[in-house]
Amino acid sequence: MSGGDAAAVELVERGPLLRVRMTGEVDLSNAAELETAIVELMPNEAAGMVLDLSALSYLDSSGIRMLLTLVGRFAWRGQQLAIVSPPGSRVRNVLQLAGASEVLVVDTADDAAIARLLRPDRGGPTS
Amino acid sequence: MDRGRASWNRVGPVVLGSVVLGVAYYVAGRLSLQLSLIEDNVTPLWPPTGIALVAFLVRGRRLWPGVALAAFVLNLPITASPLAAATTAVGNTLAPYVASAVLDRVGFRRELDRLRDAVAIVVVGALSMTISATIGTATLVATGTIAGRASAPAWAVWWAGDAMGVLIVAPFLFCLPSFRDRAFLLGRRGVETVGMLVLVGLVMAGVLTTGTSMLFAVLPIVGVISWRLQQRGAAPAALLVSLMATRAAVARTGPFAGVPLLDEMLTLQAFNASVAFTSFFFAASVTERLRARAALEASAAGLEERVAERTAELRAANARLAEAQELARLGFWEWDLETGRVTWSAEMYRIYGVPPDEEITFERAVELVDPDDRQQIRDNVRHAVEHASAEVPPVEYRVHRDDGSTATLLGRARAVVSGGSVARMLGTVQDVTERHELAREHRIADTLQRALLPQALPEHGAITFASRYVPAEEGSSAGGDWYDVIDLPDGTVALVIGDVAGHGVEAASVMGQVRMAVRAYGLEGHGPRTVVGLVHDLLRSFYEGEQMVTMLYVVVDPVTLEARVVNAGHPPMLVLDPDGGGAVFLEGQTGLPLGLAWDLPYEESIARLRSGSTLVLFTDGLIDRRDVEVGEGLERLRSAAAERVDLDPDALCGALLESLVPADASDDVAIVAARLLAARDRFELRIPADPARLRAVRRSVTRWLAASGVEHEAIADIVLACSEACANAIEHAYGPGEGTVEIEGALHDGQIDLTVRDGGSWREPRVGDRGRGLRLIGACMDEVHIEQTGNGTEVRMRRATHPAAVG
Repeated sequence: MSGGDAAAVELVERGPLLRVRMTGEVDLSNAAELETAIVELMPNEAAGMVLDLSALSYLDSSGIRMLLTLVGRFAWRGQQLAIVSPPGSRVRNVLQLAGASEVLVVDTADDAAIARLLRPDRGGPTS
Repeated sequence: MDRGRASWNRVGPVVLGSVVLGVAYYVAGRLSLQLSLIEDNVTPLWPPTGIALVAFLVRGRRLWPGVALAAFVLNLPITASPLAAATTAVGNTLAPYVASAVLDRVGFRRELDRLRDAVAIVVVGALSMTISATIGTATLVATGTIAGRASAPAWAVWWAGDAMGVLIVAPFLFCLPSFRDRAFLLGRRGVETVGMLVLVGLVMAGVLTTGTSMLFAVLPIVGVISWRLQQRGAAPAALLVSLMATRAAVARTGPFAGVPLLDEMLTLQAFNASVAFTSFFFAASVTERLRARAALEASAAGLEERVAERTAELRAANARLAEAQELARLGFWEWDLETGRVTWSAEMYRIYGVPPDEEITFERAVELVDPDDRQQIRDNVRHAVEHASAEVPPVEYRVHRDDGSTATLLGRARAVVSGGSVARMLGTVQDVTERHELAREHRIADTLQRALLPQALPEHGAITFASRYVPAEEGSSAGGDWYDVIDLPDGTVALVIGDVAGHGVEAASVMGQVRMAVRAYGLEGHGPRTVVGLVHDLLRSFYEGEQMVTMLYVVVDPVTLEARVVNAGHPPMLVLDPDGGGAVFLEGQTGLPLGLAWDLPYEESIARLRSGSTLVLFTDGLIDRRDVEVGEGLERLRSAAAERVDLDPDALCGALLESLVPADASDDVAIVAARLLAARDRFELRIPADPARLRAVRRSVTRWLAASGVEHEAIADIVLACSEACANAIEHAYGPGEGTVEIEGALHDGQIDLTVRDGGSWREPRVGDRGRGLRLIGACMDEVHIEQTGNGTEVRMRRATHPAAVG
């Protein structure tokens, strides 16, 4: 699954948390397409998605806008989104510069850390 | 201990989930049993089904033990025996289990934002609840709790209750998480939702006291809520209204007072179903429309520019075609046999000497033809029509124009056959009165050749190009010289120059084909040797070794400052060194011309260049003189160039032509010059306002900055700011003719000045988004100025490139 030649979205692992990796560059030309591709990947019963941006070589305000929209759309379904971006990386810097604090960012794709952070809802739909 | 914990981690969530689900199921069930109609056993609205379905979809079907257990415990006090309770529980568990499995299979999405999801939940819900209704009713009959004849209504109530549990309760549960959005709750939409819910509740309450079937009057209100607020309004409204109606039905009040049970059930379920359908389908439809509209708006931006571009291209192509027709004295006509209408091109009118606004029929045209030739023309047409044949033999005939002059014309025609008969005829007419003039053919070849050469050279941030093409003097034959400059996708540039052996129209057409082939192979990403080899193979196989072409193919990389050269029998490339190195021909391997029967591999030579180096490619028309040896001709070129090393490419080409090519040259001359901009120079780039170009802009700017020695960290920041500013400009550019963005960079005194300019009119940015882009630009550059003039917007940015010692 890809967003043109500039970027690609790849499903890494399917489980209670969906792990997805994004590579390439995200800008105005492909952000909308990528957003659709990511939403299509998300099944009803997953508690959330871990979107790994470590391999992304370029991110700007269009990409951040996309991430925020994803957070909103997933929240509608009671699902959470966590972004993986190593500290000190270019993408991490951009996230910080742009002040996208509503987006949950973690340093590494570590299971325990993410599971703790995502805190899937206990008790299902009646909570 | 560890292994115990590990297996608890796997099983734990399932057990916990099941327990919680079971509890929820039980509690909801107990509350719902208050709404029971038949022997305390059957209820018209069974929310636990909806809870179970949602839980299975969202948390997984492995939570089924919770439902089974809860159903069992629920049924115990109201069924004849534990066995009966167990059996009923099986039905209660199986129905939502199957429903969720089927929904997963068809790709159901819990947001219910597509019509297909709405349809899926209705159909699957309705069908799978037959399972629980059947098992449950059978158990009731088997245990004697109800009589056999009561089984049909009992089944109906059961099924309807479970189905409503799915249709009314499940959507509400699905949309619950969305209410956590605080912005929504406290905002205008939240207030509107609450208001609408209160309104519909009041109306419902009113309707339920009237005692008449005004129930359905509440449907339009539910419809409006669904339309205005989509799922977040539709689901709660539907739930509220259905609960109130069900309560009234159970208590036999209002519209349900004194109504027989079956009628009551029918009315109630009809009502509940109407509410469910209205709310969902409206909500899903509106959501789909909103999404489609947003997508449409996004793609419509930029549509105007593309249309304008295409129109301009078409217009230019048409103009060239008209010009070619005129030069060749070639007229074009079309005759629709069904309507009798004849259409003539402008040149036809001129050839026949008829005023351009006169209406033409076949008869009028034939009138002008010499009487001796008319019969032949009529015969041809008749033959084509009768035999429905597409072939019409060419005819040479004379016409006598109204002004008294006579001309000899050569007419070619074709019949367009459709459905077994001739519907249209079309053809050309050429004035061959002067057919023996070579000049005519020469002009045709010339026009063709010009049309096949590049119309404009590409703009490249790091290289300046110039070119000249001078056709041979009239009276001699035009050769097949061509040149091309190709912007390769990786930021390098291919310079091509070549000479097709032969002359006239044939050579020109071969030239066009070769030019396209080189372009195609080059853009595909092949290296120079491969490109040349592929074109050679193509020519060889197509013309069977009979067509020879010489070519020079050079790929220039402005970052590595390297030129990779492959020479197929062509004069060598000239390299001008900016710093007093003069002009030097690139000595390297020269292979055989393309297209010959032999297949020897082509070698690549590398030229090391410097910033400011100029490359000159030329065809032999520049150096071949009748009385001069080839070696001497080359030397003349070299010294002429060496004297003019500092000229820019355009002036250089002009100067070389002037000094080397006499006015009566017998051969074509083509010349291409390319100069690598010095590392410290300016950067200029112009792009159409198309988001797909952003990546190439980032690449170009990166290469320029890297070649100029700017430090890595600064490059990333500057490129980000530039891309943001361009994306900004692209989103502004709105309206025909305003679709270009200009980028200018200058590096001086340890700082970079970057300007992004567009000609668009300001378009309101999406709320919140532009702020982020501007914030990024501000964070990456030291200074930012944005100026909006009447003609567009200019963003000027500045950044120091060598970090000063910070205090």
